[in-house]
Amino acid sequence: MTRTRTPRTPKKPPSRGLSPWLGWAIKLSLVGLVVLAGFAVYLDAIVQEKFSGKRWTIPAKVYARPLELFVGQKLSKDDFLTELDALGYRRESVANGPGAAAVNGNTVDLNTRGFQFYEGMEQAQPVRVRFSGDYVAELSATNGSKLSVVRLEPLLIGGLYPKNLEDRILIKIDQVPPYLLETLVAVEDRDFYHHFGVSPKSIARAIWVNGSSGRMRQGGSTLTQQLVKNFYLTNERSLSRKLTEAMMALLLELHYDKREILEAYLNEVFVGQDGQRAVHGFGLASQFFFSQPLAELKLHQVALLVGMVKGPSSYNPRRYPERALERRNLVLDVLQEQGVATAEQVEAAKKMPLGVTKRGSLADSSFPGFLDLVKRQLREDYRDEDLTEEGLRIFTSFDPILQMKAEASVNDTFKRLAGRKGSEDVEAAMVVTNPETGEVQAMIGSRQASFAGFNRALDAVRPIGSLIKPAVYLTALEKPSQYTLTSWLSDESFSVKGADGQVWKPQNYDRRSHGTVFLYQGLAHSYNLSTARLGLAVGVPNVLKTLARLGVSREFPAFPSMLLGAGGMTPIEVATMYQTLANGGFNTPMRGIRSVLTAEGEPLKRYPFQIQQRFDPASIYLIQSAMQRVMREGTGSSVYNVLPKTLTLAGKTGTSNDSRDSWFAGFSQDLLAVVWLGRDDNGKTPFTGATGALQVWASFMRKADPLPLDMPQPDNIVQAWVDSRTGQGSDAGCPGAVQMPYIRGSEPPPGAACAGEGPASGESVMDWVKGWMN
Amino acid sequence: MNKWLIPAVAAVALLSGCSTVQRGSIPVVDAGTAVSNSERISANGGFRQTTVKRPAQAQVQEIPQGDSGVVVMVPGAGAMTSTPISTTPITPGPVSSGPITPGPIDTTSGQSAPINQGSYSMPSTPSGIPSASSGGLSADEQLDGPVLALLTTAQQQQASGDLNGASSSLERAQRVAPREPQVLYKLAQVRMAQGDAAQAEQFAQRGLTLANGRPALQASLWDLIAQAREKQGDSAGAAQARQKAKVSL
Repeated sequence: MTRTRTPRTPKKPPSRGLSPWLGWAIKLSLVGLVVLAGFAVYLDAIVQEKFSGKRWTIPAKVYARPLELFVGQKLSKDDFLTELDALGYRRESVANGPGAAAVNGNTVDLNTRGFQFYEGMEQAQPVRVRFSGDYVAELSATNGSKLSVVRLEPLLIGGLYPKNLEDRILIKIDQVPPYLLETLVAVEDRDFYHHFGVSPKSIARAIWVNGSSGRMRQGGSTLTQQLVKNFYLTNERSLSRKLTEAMMALLLELHYDKREILEAYLNEVFVGQDGQRAVHGFGLASQFFFSQPLAELKLHQVALLVGMVKGPSSYNPRRYPERALERRNLVLDVLQEQGVATAEQVEAAKKMPLGVTKRGSLADSSFPGFLDLVKRQLREDYRDEDLTEEGLRIFTSFDPILQMKAEASVNDTFKRLAGRKGSEDVEAAMVVTNPETGEVQAMIGSRQASFAGFNRALDAVRPIGSLIKPAVYLTALEKPSQYTLTSWLSDESFSVKGADGQVWKPQNYDRRSHGTVFLYQGLAHSYNLSTARLGLAVGVPNVLKTLARLGVSREFPAFPSMLLGAGGMTPIEVATMYQTLANGGFNTPMRGIRSVLTAEGEPLKRYPFQIQQRFDPASIYLIQSAMQRVMREGTGSSVYNVLPKTLTLAGKTGTSNDSRDSWFAGFSQDLLAVVWLGRDDNGKTPFTGATGALQVWASFMRKADPLPLDMPQPDNIVQAWVDSRTGQGSDAGCPGAVQMPYIRGSEPPPGAACAGEGPASGESVMDWVKGWMN
Repeated sequence: MNKWLIPAVAAVALLSGCSTVQRGSIPVVDAGTAVSNSERISANGGFRQTTVKRPAQAQVQEIPQGDSGVVVMVPGAGAMTSTPISTTPITPGPVSSGPITPGPIDTTSGQSAPINQGSYSMPSTPSGIPSASSGGLSADEQLDGPVLALLTTAQQQQASGDLNGASSSLERAQRVAPREPQVLYKLAQVRMAQGDAAQAEQFAQRGLTLANGRPALQASLWDLIAQAREKQGDSAGAAQARQKAKVSL
């Protein structure tokens, strides 16, 4: 005490020369040390807090449906190979290791990668698939034993990004491919395993270089420092930041071992920019540049990725392939020099092309329409932070093969119809579902399918025109004592006065009336007069009730004009409505998501399959057969210009006033598609339902090659022979006799004898029957 | 003295700051761990430990234990046919208009109606099957291939109490074979076990629309509908369903 006090005594003369200065220096340094210690404690808290907690926020990842393989599955080899390519399978002469495939004629050998699904783990395994026609004919393990069902890993189709748009796929250090760690250390920080976070040698070198150039040029940073810089600090270049960085690097090394630091580095490193999205970590970089999981990368790919660390934008292999190649080969030289790889290995690797895929195949923008649907469904159940930070894995029903076919159909059709004046302003939307499961498989929200913007499939509410008609006819057919497919309807013009005094006078598309027609013909030919008469007879409110039972939750006013589709609906609502018609009268809420797993692979949520019977299968059976007539003989018959006659389909065209909307909705056994064409400004288009939307639909069905519609015949349906002209009961042997389905009890009494007028050729009924029977 | 005290205090402070966590016992919680690729199992087996216990994956040869009603039977080892039941027709062709009409056959239609040639293919009866004892179904209820494998998995999951997993596997089976009523029957059973009697009834109803010509299965489905209605407090409906179950057999 006394000694420290002594110098401060003001009365003491400053005769001792140096000693007060020394005293001050000691005191100052002590203060400095305390401050520094305090700063160190502060930094240490930061270092540990961030490193030991959740290190990164991970956007939710959205996956397509996994492709299932089993014998008897309808899948062409071409489609299968498309899927493998999208998944980044390497084509090899002999499939070797996960993610490899070898094609020999009709046989494809592959090694699946394995994946954690909601239902459990799918193991990685070697599989042989043999195709026959468009079917899987054989599925076996490499030892020849049969496999009953195998599923591939699902394609990653996008993510739900937070505002900072940082994206990564986390990896563990034991998942990295050979050479990666060695290459990284050899190129970026040779002393990594020996220093304590900073390397005096490289700092000295950096000081020398920077001193002589007068500017901060060279980092001399260790991997630890680089990690600290990216993980904790800003990009500012200053001496104080450099010192902070060095201290934090030392502290980090004090607490965590080299492997842990290296693992963090692998996940933190910035490797490129994908539009707005920053690509962080080698895990995502591998997917982004090679469409492959990191573990599968080979020496030349590893060298490229490590080489890019130095300058992700200047060595971007997609933008500057020559520069990137040069850099890669330089890295390979270093590897040889350092003894990481042999001269032969380096030589072989140098001969390899860069091997990057065309574009970021997991680019967020690839399938904006469907992702939009997924996001909307997720937002009903999760907070935004959960979706952008927790690394959730979202499993969807999206089918990339069908999506590509849908997009190609839209593009092809517009190209083909480009000659029609005004077609260039026409927009498009499409919804593809599986009627048997209620799952959405593909979606197009814009003519430019990759354009993220107004999603017309979900948001464009447009008059549906004649798409409403099945609801009118179904309402009637539910009363078998009053209506059958062969009931007579008048197709004469009429007018009604509404409650508001307005007169409604519908017209047929061809402005003619068609006399008296069979009920099914009114639907098949989309006659407005007979349909409107029928709708008024059964009651507009009842038709709207039917519409609601079909799954349309939108409310409509009970105006007569509703009977001809004046009400507006979105394409996805139309899909819901037709889904119920396609699925035997069972309504299913549309689903795009199957299940959600946590980042750890634990089940979080399921979106279960739910059904509700809304109609008796018999009346659905009847409306389906009438809708088949639409395709065989009615307004949809042009599909059979491009599709085989054996393919039974059901559907309906829709055209709103002045051809402002061109619709088609229809289904096969396993595929339902709704197409809408129209202008955003609601202007006139050059298309009717048949000349526009139906063309897209037919093109899609041709590419997708679905199964023919085949609804099992309900118990209370009977097939009766009737006279094709009169609709009266007939005998099977009689000329002009055709078979028609009726709800039991509503069939006409069996005809006794033949009228003997000879074959009624030329009759319209005969025509459709022929088309149907053939 | 104090000159040494202060650095000592500083050093202690520094050390205590640094040593709050010992090297080697790092409290790293990798909450954001293992997205996407990391769950791809690497060739050496993968690192991920799923905390949820899951039963082993489908073992096709294993005979599942019937719980009640329908037993999924496994064809004998030599009798495996490679065609999956009812998933899809191998040769798409024109669809027959003709029905199978179980129950009273209408004379006007029954005689001339062609037999259903549609996509539904009944598997040939394999020899050496365990006979339809213990409440099992007749031989035409044999399943094989992917549907059997998935139903077996589902059964194991159900047995281990993992109803969500079972449900998920059954929906997978339903996607593979959407028209196989046994899958819908199983789905209905699991929904019952999950306490969702209303959906159980719906799935059983859907199963019935696809079960033409399979009286044993129809009876089981009606039976399940009866249980589901009972649970929903509809005893009259339950009695009706039970009556139908008897008629079906």
